[in-house]
Amino acid sequence: MKPIALAAAVCLAASAATASAQALKPEKEIQLRQSAYALMGYNFANLGAMAQDKKPYNKEEAARSADFVAMLADVPKGFFGPGTEHGRDTKAKPEIWEKRSDFDAKMDKMVQETKKLPPAARTDLAALKKAVGDAGAACKACHDDYRAK
Amino acid sequence: MPRIAVWDAPTRLFHWALAVLVVFSFVTGKIGGGWMAWHVKSGYAILSLLAFRLAWGIVGSETARFSHFLSGPRTAVAYVRALAARRLPTVVGHNPLGGWMVALMIALLLLQAGTGLFADDDIATQGPLAAKVSEAWVGRATAIHKWNEWAIVAAVTLHVSAIAFYHLALRKDLIGPMVHGRMESDAAAPRAAPVVLAAVLFAIACGAVYWLVAVYPRAP
Repeated sequence: MKPIALAAAVCLAASAATASAQALKPEKEIQLRQSAYALMGYNFANLGAMAQDKKPYNKEEAARSADFVAMLADVPKGFFGPGTEHGRDTKAKPEIWEKRSDFDAKMDKMVQETKKLPPAARTDLAALKKAVGDAGAACKACHDDYRAK
Repeated sequence: MPRIAVWDAPTRLFHWALAVLVVFSFVTGKIGGGWMAWHVKSGYAILSLLAFRLAWGIVGSETARFSHFLSGPRTAVAYVRALAARRLPTVVGHNPLGGWMVALMIALLLLQAGTGLFADDDIATQGPLAAKVSEAWVGRATAIHKWNEWAIVAAVTLHVSAIAFYHLALRKDLIGPMVHGRMESDAAAPRAAPVVLAAVLFAIACGAVYWLVAVYPRAP
């Protein structure tokens, strides 16, 4: 290993250690995932309104909302740590921690589908409708099983 | 035995259109995603049908009227006793139990379509009136919309089971008359209201629902 690569690896390891050392309070974790969902929801609803012909399709606006959703989709999965089952009126069901691998798979599917939103939003309304439908179904898969009514 | 017309065409059309749309709504709601736009439209159609049926239950044909088929509990108990004794009383129209089933079904579906107007799935679909009320009410409406779904599934199951029971245990066909409208009976034919009245009422119902879901929400 070259010295520079070694130095970079050490730096990376150190920063990773710092990040995990900054243990968040469960309450803070819940707040962060809820905030991400709230902003995702706001932007995805905007795309949904265009996809359902409730407002005219506007490429720039759609692209902006799609970018937000795709970026924010990566956030919540990091904030379902231990001790975050209760608090801040969370609608997260205990089943998340009981069937974690299934929950994670559904979360990954949602992340994957939302990545298709930005290119679709920049293509045309038909492409957006398809991508919003697929991403919406991926959201729903988790809501049905892991989100309290 | 002579055949008499028991169900008028508007009531039969209403029934089968409702059956198809309820199944369609259930399935599209379960699939979600791009089908939610159709789920919403199906709900509007159901609401229009229900509004028509309420009016038809007041001014429609004799067997379609609420006053004709809604009876007290004593009548219902007497009817159940007769069934238990395997004596099938001849009824032209809804029997005392079936009548209450109609009322229950209409009430549950009205609740479902009504709460759907205010519901928000927190994904991409919002009822047309959700923006008009507080988030607390949107939450309540959404929760009722989700739980009542299973009440409807239970009511439909009961309804279909009852028809199967009449068919198999009592050898009484209830599906045929709801398709072609006629039954064999010595009784006098019930009075039928003009079909054109039904058409006018349905048009008014559709117009009212259109105003509610498309015109009123855009008003400031």
